[in-house]
Amino acid sequence: MSAMDPTEIFRQEASELFEVLEGALLDLGQRPDDRELVDSAFRALHTIKGSGAMFGFDKVASFTHEFETAFDRVRKGEIKPTQELISVALAAKDYIRALIEDPQSTDDVIGEAILDDLKRFVSFDQPAAAVVEIAEAPPLAPGGSKQASWHLYLEFESHILRNGSNPLDLLEDLCKLGPCFVVPVTDGIPFLDEMEPEDCYLKWDVKLHAACDKDAIDDVFMFVQDELKLTLSPLEHVEAPAPAPLFQLLDEEPAPMAEMPAPPVELPAAPVAEQPVVKTEPKSRPEPKPEAKREERGIATVRVQAERLDELMDRVGELVIAQARLTQLAASGSDLSIKMIAEEIERLASSLRDTTMGARMVPIGSLFGRFRRLVHDLSRDLSKPVEFVTSGEDTELDKTMIECLADPLVHLIRNAIDHGIEDNATRAANGKTEQGRIELAAVHSGAQVLVTVKDNGGGLNTARIRAKAEEQGLIAAGAVLTDHEIHQFLFHPGFSTAQTISALSGRGVGMDVVKRTIENMRGSIDLSTRPGQGTTVTLRLPLTLAIIEGLLIRVGEGRYIIPLPAVEECVELTAEDERSRGRNFLNVRGNLVPFLRLREIMSSSGSPDKHQKTIIISTGETRVGLVADQIIGNHQTVIKSLSKLHSDVTIFSGATILGDGTAALILDVAQLVAMAQSKVEKQHISEAA
Amino acid sequence: MALNPTEPKWSLRLPADCSIAAIRNVYELIREAFGRQERLEIDCSSVDKADVTSIQLLLSTARTGEAQGRPVVLTSFSQSLRNTLRRAGFASEAMIDQHFPQKKDGT
Repeated sequence: MSAMDPTEIFRQEASELFEVLEGALLDLGQRPDDRELVDSAFRALHTIKGSGAMFGFDKVASFTHEFETAFDRVRKGEIKPTQELISVALAAKDYIRALIEDPQSTDDVIGEAILDDLKRFVSFDQPAAAVVEIAEAPPLAPGGSKQASWHLYLEFESHILRNGSNPLDLLEDLCKLGPCFVVPVTDGIPFLDEMEPEDCYLKWDVKLHAACDKDAIDDVFMFVQDELKLTLSPLEHVEAPAPAPLFQLLDEEPAPMAEMPAPPVELPAAPVAEQPVVKTEPKSRPEPKPEAKREERGIATVRVQAERLDELMDRVGELVIAQARLTQLAASGSDLSIKMIAEEIERLASSLRDTTMGARMVPIGSLFGRFRRLVHDLSRDLSKPVEFVTSGEDTELDKTMIECLADPLVHLIRNAIDHGIEDNATRAANGKTEQGRIELAAVHSGAQVLVTVKDNGGGLNTARIRAKAEEQGLIAAGAVLTDHEIHQFLFHPGFSTAQTISALSGRGVGMDVVKRTIENMRGSIDLSTRPGQGTTVTLRLPLTLAIIEGLLIRVGEGRYIIPLPAVEECVELTAEDERSRGRNFLNVRGNLVPFLRLREIMSSSGSPDKHQKTIIISTGETRVGLVADQIIGNHQTVIKSLSKLHSDVTIFSGATILGDGTAALILDVAQLVAMAQSKVEKQHISEAA
Repeated sequence: MALNPTEPKWSLRLPADCSIAAIRNVYELIREAFGRQERLEIDCSSVDKADVTSIQLLLSTARTGEAQGRPVVLTSFSQSLRNTLRRAGFASEAMIDQHFPQKKDGT
């Protein structure tokens, strides 16, 4: 339980800011006129720069500063963000990320090249327009008369330095507007004992002699407007020769003490009362006490190491197991007060479990954001314009699942663009719009989350998949298979219908890995396609990997858990069904449902119970009955992984500890059904032979 | 960063990093030195990272010394510290003298 390294905190914060920055840049490509997006990108850049400098990432700070400066013309609205500019800006973002995460991998030459590109784009594009714009907008005082000088009084919130903002950078930016006389106000500096060294106590009184309007000044402080009390009033035009501005002094080699210029002559201030004073308060809400503000900030979010959440979840798992033992013990006795305590603890443990699981839930939108860049880059590389639409970003999923989902989704989206979306000529020939469309959506469905990747491309070529399967000897020529069954070959290791191997696909490595990854998360993957209209891949995922609701059953002497989301209903195996031995089909309200006798699969000894029970489960589109001796009931199942020794036993996805301390295996129903199907197929083949 | 045993006892050399990332340590050190020394001389020659917090700490130190009647003298401002002072608006020697009690040329 050690405190986090501050630089690690910065890395994490920067990682979030990169997502914001990338999202804003990509959105700008779609909505170049959206000022909010430009501001959002700049806020992220500014914070990265400030925090970078604060935590000693000097290269990050200086590169980001250059990036900011080059992109400044976009912020000022002088040029529009073109696709080329966005691409270079994204490369600049990647470079900053590399500087933070893996500085060894970076090279100054690359950084300079990116900055050169950035400067080329921002200076090449529409330079004349900018000049005209400036010429057309002469600086006017609020009263309408020409105004060339301003008086500013800057009072920052005390915590501003902790946020990574640097008032000195802002003063420097202000000086770029024109000759500027900055006088620090030191009245607020406390004695040592009363001082918080990271707080800001200095204030500044500034006289700016620049032909600029109020907006230009506001722009300088736009990122700290919530943390700054800015009093702004116009000064009367001063004819006195302007002394050397501060920023020029800064650019020069520092002069020896004796050669330092004299203190700036106080310029006569305008009769402030006659001019309107513009006051920018840090939002017009009542000023809370410093303690209250600190408390408010602390409560809003708390950054917790992921390992701690894992640890907490493990502890809750142990608690749930202990509680199950207590409940069982209480039920076997007659002490009413023990029973009451057991019930209370069960209620508390259940509530604690839900809260802990809730703390691990992360909106899937944090994952979706990453793919926008992927689509942008692939779309550019393959010259296939693609619109990327996401929905259900607020859908929450266990953080471990989110991490595991990233690679499979990358693969599915790559496939959708590379194989799914047709080239421009084919789309045009088929009467489709030039721009393809990829939809990535997430939605809750009971105890599962459905994640879908849908494209409006050409759909799967079933005939080609079949031909390839026959060529590889996976099926006999002419075998009768449904389209759905044929599509399942795409998940076969080494299966690829791509005729050429590209950097993106064609090696047949991928869909099998995707399927395995999803199944390892106790999820399933499903494909549906319509020729000429596109393909939809649906991932069904459990909400969490840690604790699930299960149905506890007994087969012979062994006890097993069936994940409750897979269970549709439970029925008794009738004498008639029993007599159907050899056919293994149940009649459920007129529908024939195949069933598996778990006693046979588990090789249980002893004679079966007289009244056998059937649990109807569904896996994708398949319904199957599992015949057990007894259904014990619902069980809060804390999942424990099986050891490597059991890794080849695919029909179990894990184990759990029951209230009496014994273990129960968790059935992997999809694997169980697949195993039974393969057994039946082999039987058919041998019978045919 | 510590009291320098080879120099007069009342000399304290500031570390290279006096930016916000390290300012609390510097603050603690100055307070500790303040508690021990009758007269405090702070050598600023090694400072190569400074920001608003460094300036504020030196101002507060000077102000506290003055209020307690215990002289605080700042010596050998590094170039980096000077640049930061100028960026903050302490643009002239006169201004710096006014706010920071300096010892020059061995005086």
